[in-house]
Amino acid sequence: MVEDLAFHLADLVENALRAGARQVDVELAKEGGELLLRVEDDGVGMEEEVVRQATDPFFTTKPGRRVGLGLAFLRQTAEELGGSLLIRSAPGKGTCVQARIPWDHPDRPPLGDLVATLLPLLATSSVEFRLLFRDDRYTWSLDTRELRTALGAVPLADPEVLSFLEREMRQALEALGWKEEG
Amino acid sequence: MKLEELRKIRERAEAEMRLRTGQARVKIVVGMGTSGIAAGARQVLRAILEEVGQRNLRDVLVTQTGEKGLAAKEPLVEVHEPGRITVYGDVDEATARRIVAEHVVNGRILEDHLVELREVPT
Repeated sequence: MVEDLAFHLADLVENALRAGARQVDVELAKEGGELLLRVEDDGVGMEEEVVRQATDPFFTTKPGRRVGLGLAFLRQTAEELGGSLLIRSAPGKGTCVQARIPWDHPDRPPLGDLVATLLPLLATSSVEFRLLFRDDRYTWSLDTRELRTALGAVPLADPEVLSFLEREMRQALEALGWKEEG
Repeated sequence: MKLEELRKIRERAEAEMRLRTGQARVKIVVGMGTSGIAAGARQVLRAILEEVGQRNLRDVLVTQTGEKGLAAKEPLVEVHEPGRITVYGDVDEATARRIVAEHVVNGRILEDHLVELREVPT
């Protein structure tokens, strides 16, 4: 399976949910020739020691057998292509993971299907999300708090709401010229 | 974001909710813990949303939850109905679609993936 960037984003979002976040910010941007990917949460956060270990492929805080490869893969991808991975975290405050990858590098992973990967996660969770897609000339954002206010008792996973959000997201990706990678 | 369009969706959805007196008839809960995700829970969640959407089942609420402690049987899907909770295990995409079509729509339990059937007070 190709580890596209949508997959990495979903991985980071799931880490945030597991950290007990109430609010998750997801940003994907094309900025000065670089792809910026940022996931920030207000979950439990990590001690400095854990942050240092977080990109070690043989380290995981999760119970069970799986090794925590998510961040390790992302760091490896970013650094091999001349980019970077930055993790800021504070216990009780939350965690911010930010990756930068040269946009035009031939080995940059494709964006993948951002809509099909992110939308189900966000629509079926009780956590609030802010989603931001942008480049130098266009910005698109989605705030689940605003959506919930507009929708009242109607859930985000309502079929008609979901297909509306899917349309909106796909249009935004088209406006950004990111659609062909889906 | 076209909030005007959302308001129209809300009006339509609320009108339908009034017809069935407000409550979702069925809640489908997908286990999205680490082992569930490794075993394909993301695809399962997506398939359930698609199936519910295609059938326009507005009285079905789809949500997710974390680890359930039955890692060997993940992905797990629970169907909550008045009076009972049905737990399915080893759910793949095809089974997820069957849960919607056979159980949620037609009320038939899928014996081949049944892990637990719990009666709950209504």
